[in-house]
Amino acid sequence: MDIKEKLIILADSAKYDASCSSSGSNRKTKNGLGTTSIAGICHSFASDGRCISLLKILMTNCCCYDCKYCLNRKSNNIKRAIFTKEEICEITLNFYRRNYIEGLFLSSGIIKNPDYTMNLMIEAISFLRKKYHFGGYIHAKAIPGASEYLIKKLGQLVDRMSANIELPTENGLKLLAPNKESTKVTKIMKYVDNNRNARFVPAGQSTQMIIGATNESDLEIMSKSASLYNSYKLKRVFYSAYIPVNNDKLLPSLKLPPLKRENRLYQADFLLRFYKFKVPDILDEKNPNFNLLIDPKADWALRHLEEFPKEINSASYDELLKIPGVGVKSAKRIISARKYFKLTFNDLSKLGIVLKRAKYFILCGGKYFIDGNNFKRNFIEKNLILEDKIYETTSNEQLKLSLFDE
Amino acid sequence: MSKSNYIYLYDGSFINLLNLIKILLKKKIIPQNIKDDTYLPNLLEQSFKFKIEDDEKVIQEIINGTSKNILTTIYYLFLSNEENKELLIYYFLVHSLKFKNKVYYMRNLKSVDKALKVVMYVSHENHKFKGFVRFKELANNILYAEISPVNNILPILSNYFKKRLKNEFFIIKDVKRNIVSVYDKKDFYILDGEEFKLIGNKESSSEKLIQDMWIAFYKTIGIKERKNDRCRRNFMPKKYWKNIIEMRDEL
Repeated sequence: MDIKEKLIILADSAKYDASCSSSGSNRKTKNGLGTTSIAGICHSFASDGRCISLLKILMTNCCCYDCKYCLNRKSNNIKRAIFTKEEICEITLNFYRRNYIEGLFLSSGIIKNPDYTMNLMIEAISFLRKKYHFGGYIHAKAIPGASEYLIKKLGQLVDRMSANIELPTENGLKLLAPNKESTKVTKIMKYVDNNRNARFVPAGQSTQMIIGATNESDLEIMSKSASLYNSYKLKRVFYSAYIPVNNDKLLPSLKLPPLKRENRLYQADFLLRFYKFKVPDILDEKNPNFNLLIDPKADWALRHLEEFPKEINSASYDELLKIPGVGVKSAKRIISARKYFKLTFNDLSKLGIVLKRAKYFILCGGKYFIDGNNFKRNFIEKNLILEDKIYETTSNEQLKLSLFDE
Repeated sequence: MSKSNYIYLYDGSFINLLNLIKILLKKKIIPQNIKDDTYLPNLLEQSFKFKIEDDEKVIQEIINGTSKNILTTIYYLFLSNEENKELLIYYFLVHSLKFKNKVYYMRNLKSVDKALKVVMYVSHENHKFKGFVRFKELANNILYAEISPVNNILPILSNYFKKRLKNEFFIIKDVKRNIVSVYDKKDFYILDGEEFKLIGNKESSSEKLIQDMWIAFYKTIGIKERKNDRCRRNFMPKKYWKNIIEMRDEL
């Protein structure tokens, strides 16, 4: 098998991992090749619109586990391959020099046992860093169940390390990934969180959950995320809409991955991290799932219309953040600009603030954007849904998923 | 002699422009426009050229009078493809001298608003190209890339690659403007495409294989169940595709 064929097999097995960010690290180079950039850099965009920043590969797709949802499970009859450390270095360095990539994302199936697998990964990455003085970004997956000294060793070599929680509840995990235990994953998270510094996993850790393979509600998923953010200071939780790759009676039969639901989860995730929302604000036992027609922030605002409309010229920063369509950047711009002059709707547009959603929830100098009698839930809700529909059907070049607003 | 309804000419360089603006401000002339000296005035226009000394002190004077950030902003404006960028620089500087760093919030002033939008465009395009530049390895081990950005980002982009590919020789050519940036492991030089021609730009022996592997990787990594052309085009506009090797098959 030649190196190109291996690359195709091992990229194909790695593509379902959502994370491809290269942010959070800032390394300068002395004698080696490469740097990292604090904001991260996207080098290309795949046919699915996702950013390609890192060479995302598995070291091997051989695996002794049999997780139901996974393409690489033991019981699947697929072509298997394994990269040597020299091959990993060769591809990474050649791609990096040509500016195809920002660095390496290395994950792996489990061969023999977690320690054995981790050791091979460490050898490859250590080769890259020490023999070739590679200064680019490296994101490695820690293998749950591996010994602590290996976690320590790997963490010193990489920018980001992560372990996937895979499913939001222990029951889901038991059902679909009988070889995995969430405590093994959280053990890694805890260790990384306790030891993180400029030389150990400087860009922090992230994790990923599969959405729609088991029947957890959005409330259960968001509660899990919130607890992960609180307990281990994760940089990101990624949500990956379940895509059927195996036939198994335990798995749901879906025609299309639940992409809208995934989008709602990301939006809610941003609300938790940057907008000072708590899970009970957006979901509860009565409404355990997201409204697929309206984004979570607008949905919340519609249920709390008594707090609106907000006067742009006097609302506090926290209040501004709660306005649908106003993000962290916009809120900061409003605060700075209004020190010097009183803002009108026109000024907001000039500041680059998108009024598509915001206009329904604000006043500028006491004025609503149309006759104030229209400030009613029915009217706003209808218009928000309508504007989204128009937006989705026109080929507007300005498409921006709030997911990528970071 | 010099009047406000004149179009003032400079030699096309940044330093020359700043020195011209310095003269205009000193003489309290509000120019009708400022253009480089290849500009052909129409019948109703009158142009005028001062004898300008290329004094680099003007850089420090601007920093002292405003701030380093404002100088950078002006430089980015200068690199833009905006038709009247010189006049935009003049007005932005006038406002900056008055408001200092607060000028960044004065979006209600039309010229400031316009200037900041243009700067944003240049800076975003530069950031995109940090990712989109594709080098190939020539037989003599030199890395070579061609770009055709809307704005003249070659100087700031080269400065970025100078840090990233510190220990490599590289050449980046802006095909649209016919200018070349050459890095010799110490610093980079921007040269005219006519002055600098590559002789024997044969690819290295492994180049084809590496390119094939990258294209194969690119085709594999997209999830077909999630195909989303519109999203891809928004992040990676089609106008850049011809220099991005993995996109050539789809053009």
